[in-house]
Amino acid sequence: MWKQIGARESGKLRPNSFTNRIRSHRSSSLLLSNHKELLSPHRASINTLQVDLTEGRYLLSGASDASLAIFDIQRATEYDAGGLIAKHKPVLVDKQHENGHKYAISTAVWYPVDTGLFVTGSYDHHIKVWDTNTTEVVMDFKMPGKVYRTAMSTLATSHMLIAAATEDVQVRLCDMASGAFAHTLSGHRDGVMSVEWSTSSEWILMTGGCDGAIRFWDIRRAGCFSVLDQSHSQLGRRPPLVDPSATKVSTSKARAPPRKVGSGSSSKHSGNNKILKHAKGSGKQRLHPGLLTSQDRATAHYGAVLGLKATEDGMYLLSAGSDSRLRLWDIQSGCNTLVHYEMVRMQSSKAIQLAVTQDSGIVFLPCMTSVKGFDVWSGRSRMTLQGHYENVNCCCYSANDQELYTGGNDRQILTWSPPKLISDDADECGRTGQPSAVDEDNWSD
Amino acid sequence: MSTYNYVVTAHKPTNVTHSCVGNFTGPQELNLIIAKCTRIEIHLLTAHGLQPLLDVPIYGRIATLELFRSHGETQDLLFIATERYKFCVLQWDADAKEVVTRAMGDVSDRIGRPTDNGQIGIIDPDCRLIGLHLYDGLFKVIPFDNKGQLKEAFNIRLEELQVLDIKFLYGCSKPTIVVLYQDNKDARHVKTYEVSLKDKDFVEGPWSQNNLDNGAELLIPVPPPFGGVLIIGEETIVYCSASAFKAIPIRPSITRAYGRVDADGSRYLLGDLSGLLHLLVIVHEKEKVTGLKIELLGETSIASTISYLDNAFVYVGSSYGDSQLIKLNLQPDSKGSYVEVLERYVNLGPIVDFCVVDLERQGQGQVVTCSGAYKDGSLCIVRNGIGINEQASVELQGIKGMWSLRSATDDLYDTFLVVSFINETRILAMNVEDELEESEIEGFCSQVQTLFCHDAVYNQLVQITSSSVRLVSSESRELKNEWFPRPGFSINVATANASQVLLATRGGNLVYLEIENGKLVEINHAELKYDISCLDINPIGENSNRSNLAAVGMWTDISVKIFSLPDLTLKTEDHLGGEIIPRSVLLCAFEGIPYLLCALGDGHLLNYLLDMETGELTDRKKVSLGTQPITLRTFSSKNTTHVFAASDRPTVIYSSNKKLLYSNVNLKEVSHMCPFNSAAFPDSLAIAKEGDLTIGTIDDIQKLHIRSIPLGEHARRICHQETSRTFAICSLKYNQSGTEDSEMHFVRLLDDQTFDVKSSYALDQFEYGCSILSCSFSDDNNAYYCVGTAYVMPEENEPSKGRILVFAVEDRKLQLVAEKETKGAVYSLNAFNGKLLAAINQKIQLYKWMLREDGTRELQSECGHHGHILALYVQTRGDFIVVGDLMKSISLLIYKHEEGAIEERARDYNANWMSAVEILDDDIYLGAENNFNLFTVRKNSEGATDEERGRLEVVGEYHLGEFVNRFRHGSLVMRLPDSDIGQIPTVIFGTVNGVIGVIASLPQEQYLFMEKLQANLRKVIKGVGGLSHEQWRSFYNEKKTADSRNFLDGDLIESFLDLKKNRMEEIAKAMNVSVEEVMKRVEELTRLH
Repeated sequence: MWKQIGARESGKLRPNSFTNRIRSHRSSSLLLSNHKELLSPHRASINTLQVDLTEGRYLLSGASDASLAIFDIQRATEYDAGGLIAKHKPVLVDKQHENGHKYAISTAVWYPVDTGLFVTGSYDHHIKVWDTNTTEVVMDFKMPGKVYRTAMSTLATSHMLIAAATEDVQVRLCDMASGAFAHTLSGHRDGVMSVEWSTSSEWILMTGGCDGAIRFWDIRRAGCFSVLDQSHSQLGRRPPLVDPSATKVSTSKARAPPRKVGSGSSSKHSGNNKILKHAKGSGKQRLHPGLLTSQDRATAHYGAVLGLKATEDGMYLLSAGSDSRLRLWDIQSGCNTLVHYEMVRMQSSKAIQLAVTQDSGIVFLPCMTSVKGFDVWSGRSRMTLQGHYENVNCCCYSANDQELYTGGNDRQILTWSPPKLISDDADECGRTGQPSAVDEDNWSD
Repeated sequence: MSTYNYVVTAHKPTNVTHSCVGNFTGPQELNLIIAKCTRIEIHLLTAHGLQPLLDVPIYGRIATLELFRSHGETQDLLFIATERYKFCVLQWDADAKEVVTRAMGDVSDRIGRPTDNGQIGIIDPDCRLIGLHLYDGLFKVIPFDNKGQLKEAFNIRLEELQVLDIKFLYGCSKPTIVVLYQDNKDARHVKTYEVSLKDKDFVEGPWSQNNLDNGAELLIPVPPPFGGVLIIGEETIVYCSASAFKAIPIRPSITRAYGRVDADGSRYLLGDLSGLLHLLVIVHEKEKVTGLKIELLGETSIASTISYLDNAFVYVGSSYGDSQLIKLNLQPDSKGSYVEVLERYVNLGPIVDFCVVDLERQGQGQVVTCSGAYKDGSLCIVRNGIGINEQASVELQGIKGMWSLRSATDDLYDTFLVVSFINETRILAMNVEDELEESEIEGFCSQVQTLFCHDAVYNQLVQITSSSVRLVSSESRELKNEWFPRPGFSINVATANASQVLLATRGGNLVYLEIENGKLVEINHAELKYDISCLDINPIGENSNRSNLAAVGMWTDISVKIFSLPDLTLKTEDHLGGEIIPRSVLLCAFEGIPYLLCALGDGHLLNYLLDMETGELTDRKKVSLGTQPITLRTFSSKNTTHVFAASDRPTVIYSSNKKLLYSNVNLKEVSHMCPFNSAAFPDSLAIAKEGDLTIGTIDDIQKLHIRSIPLGEHARRICHQETSRTFAICSLKYNQSGTEDSEMHFVRLLDDQTFDVKSSYALDQFEYGCSILSCSFSDDNNAYYCVGTAYVMPEENEPSKGRILVFAVEDRKLQLVAEKETKGAVYSLNAFNGKLLAAINQKIQLYKWMLREDGTRELQSECGHHGHILALYVQTRGDFIVVGDLMKSISLLIYKHEEGAIEERARDYNANWMSAVEILDDDIYLGAENNFNLFTVRKNSEGATDEERGRLEVVGEYHLGEFVNRFRHGSLVMRLPDSDIGQIPTVIFGTVNGVIGVIASLPQEQYLFMEKLQANLRKVIKGVGGLSHEQWRSFYNEKKTADSRNFLDGDLIESFLDLKKNRMEEIAKAMNVSVEEVMKRVEELTRLH
């Protein structure tokens, strides 16, 4: 570390390489944290975790007992062991809110622009938008089935759409600006387990269904424009990338229409999604021009697609399936990169939440009671994080702190962080052996 | 409150990052173009060396600098890409002598991760396209059309993720790149691709080569007839092409820079990290490569760029040492080196640490930097203003004028120094023992005040007093002729040169005399309306003995007039306005451009461009130099003429880049000055100040003076101890003997005057010096040096052990008096309430200085605070501790005396990776971060909630474009307590590129005025290449871009003074104030640095 600081100081190491090296070193040395503890208030399995995108300060968790919690992960509420272990109690818990969900919360995401709002989805068929400060539900969307996942685009500047993956075959886009459904995206042949926005374009949505398909949608156009095929792996002659300047032009042109549609439909049809323009085929799926029927049948996994995660550079997509496979896809070409990740057992009934480090170096995958960290490019297993006593459902990586948060059926939220050298001088105030303190806490309730 | 900050550069970047050679300014002109991170310099190669043509700032950090020539052009164009994804193509406008923008644009993408190994920008040798590698996995192509215009860019996927280098191959029918990359298993390969512009994609290239040297990092494309590429590794050099593969082993070295010698590409210069320069030769038979040969030429600075100029002249640009102009000789010198260093260009970068001291105790700060790296490490003493090195001094009160005279016209040296007083004139002369003693010139009248003296042609001297003009032989020293004014008209002012005399008598009579052999002849006279206040006939034309123009300053109507000689006809006049009369006028030429300078009684100086033919005065500019009347005199130093303006703020006026510059002289008040170039005191000046006559030499004429002390090792930390008058440094020495590089770490004690190493303390193996501090403790008044160290074990990522060493200086030797082991690296040490505050890994730890029973002392830990990732930078003020974390921005801690504990008060929750922190005042803290930004945060003690009080609010943001390593309070200029500027607190910073900058906290009123000025200047001064200043100064990191706020760019604001008059007026009008007002306020700010 001192050597790297010295090299940065004298200009031998580029500042961005310096941060990348330290980040990647830290993320590859994650251990159960010896200095940070999140005290989970949940009384049932934890299904979803997300750190806010603006400050990286608040962790949102949702559990099967319909409870929600928010933790301040930067500022501890109390300290233990002579200031060595920071304990974080939730700053907000909502167990039985009058307007809250009735059944398990399966998904909870922050509004990407600020921490004033967040969105939850539940098995009670509802998606709710909450005001963080007042803990009031400000918007409620009734969905046709259990909600598995919701997602909001981190890039969006011209829409406020919540993409919802539910039991239903259709993916719905809920417009927070109008309170109505903006689109339904038809194509999947079974329920949709996972949904992810592209990290390079605010218009591209990626969904993974129980039918084993991963579909790409451009929400400005009707139909799905690409279906990932696990057997399509020859990169061969690649088509050129979309010219970014050209896309910029088209985005500015296309900026106005969705708004109009949104506001118009909200006043006239108040939440009735069936009326929207491209759903008129009612049942019959419309194909994107140029997409062949054979391609439309392609699958990405044998079995359901349980989780999707796009890398931060917008070039790759990781998918986990109930076939116990993790795959890495090249988004532009839609090719399966054939990186071989070690086969692991995954729970196959529930949607899982993957996490990937900021530099796309390591992907974290919940595998039954442990979390595996794989090298994204080589597929080698880099670490196995064991600490939960029951199945892990979700993991969330904080790029600011290079920390991983995991939640499981054992009702715990565990923090995995780069180890801190505890430099305690002997002549200081006495302290107890701290690793045991961490272990104790796993039993604490 | 220090909310409003003004950032200005005191020393420009000197780290040379790029250089290239080509015909940029004209088809027949060979230019060297140098990039110094945020500036470019254009030089012209002449028979006498490098002649600077242009030095301009670029609103961006230069990532790529390439010259290219599109089809049918006779001149090269310059392509520049910046690290913030802007590019521009520049062309030279020969008429305006400036660069114009041919094209510009933005090449940023949403997609992709910024490359780790730096951005690559390359241009196809046949000028078909520009290739950029900015993001991992993407290769951006900007094609040229047939007319050489740039077309729309597109991206091509590049599967190789860890790209080390990309180059275009020569002589390919389709543009072809060669890519050096590293795979998942850390093996390195090269691969070629053809770029298909039609399909906007790659086609597999003609060849590839797997499993190269593990240290291969550099590709050199070889031009026709050979073609192919050289791959420079750490242990081998490989030549690779479709048809050939040749490799040679080399002595292990890391090569960072190359320069092509011949156009046919058969010889290359290679510069490595130990500063050795090699010549690589491609051995060939006709057009077939048969082998490679490498030869050591000698040692240079560690090269970051090498440009072969012409005729064995080579420019070596360096990031770690001084850049050099070298000549490669055909024969080796006595040491076996073929390298002859012709010129060195001082480089302060990288400034890893510095301290501000007042070594001369003049009340003026000097900066002592730890500069350079590896073998080129040095200490540099940076001082503002021009110093006078006093050689002799006599006490003499009431000097009214001084002139030096020679004993013969063709004598090289001055012999006499004529000193005039109110009622007498004394003559000093060099005697045979080279001492100055009082002498006599018989023909001179010594009972009255002398108005003017000068050497005249035919070995004569002229003395002008109020009653007569005397012509004296310089050989016999007898009076040869005397001229008297009309009775009752005594001479008021007079001037002369070698063959002419111009004088003014009472009532506005102007008389012109010519000096002939033994005779003064009145040629002409004129009667002006008013009395004359000052005169000048300094010859600036071709004839150095005669002037065709005379400058006259007038009372009453307050004007300057230009008369022609000998006919005394009025050519031009200019009314100065105001009520202050001109006190001194001077005709002079700087860099061949004639000027008229006119100094006023209130310390202002006007300068005009002068037309030698018509006498026309144009481009009037007014600056304020002081508050007292100014006397102007020319002098020459290093064969260049400068002007000395004697006043209460003595100033030297000189010209650089055809621009007049003013540099203050480090003397308090000077009434008169004259050059006195005697044999004993060559190139000296005689200066009359405060009752003294001083003879001394003058420093080189430049604003900042840098004295460099080479250490041969890399100094990392420095501090000064006033009581022992020493510096202590932490340094490391690289030993490259044998196969393995080893490092030795030392604490060294240096004398603060001579900079001799007085004492050294060698640290243990693997032990690094990380921090150093001079302090004393409560109930112990001795000053100690405290050194924090870390044991950097090869197997450990983070040091787990370190030491704090406490040294006393006894007999100018370091004596270890105490040591304390720590559980980690001691990144920072601060004196804190008579105790020692250390930052050790993630912890802040406070140590007491305890007296043991046996009378010895030890450090005992008192309390600590956890909760940082790495506490790298710590500053304290009172009980407050400000910590700059590795990646968690700034946090504020407080020491509670009663509880003996340190607690966190507030924190900035942004994820800034810090590089330096400083406390501006009780509430405002300044930080510099990893992405070259500055920001300020404010403590919010009055916040309503805990949350508000616990948060440091970001109040200022600014993109500096420089990596700051250290802030220190202090000032580079003499603070005159009576001026407003003296009250403005300043912080100095030092950066990797060798920039020394000043951050001044302005009062709000002044800030708002300057902010308005900056906004107006942005409209008038366009950035080179059309780059926007506003975008450049916006805070920028991976997560966000935000407009700069509460920081002003002083460099832009001060460029107001260089604008043309009409531009100035335009701006002043837009701001609703007078030009003079704006100038006055901007000039005040220029005195901050």
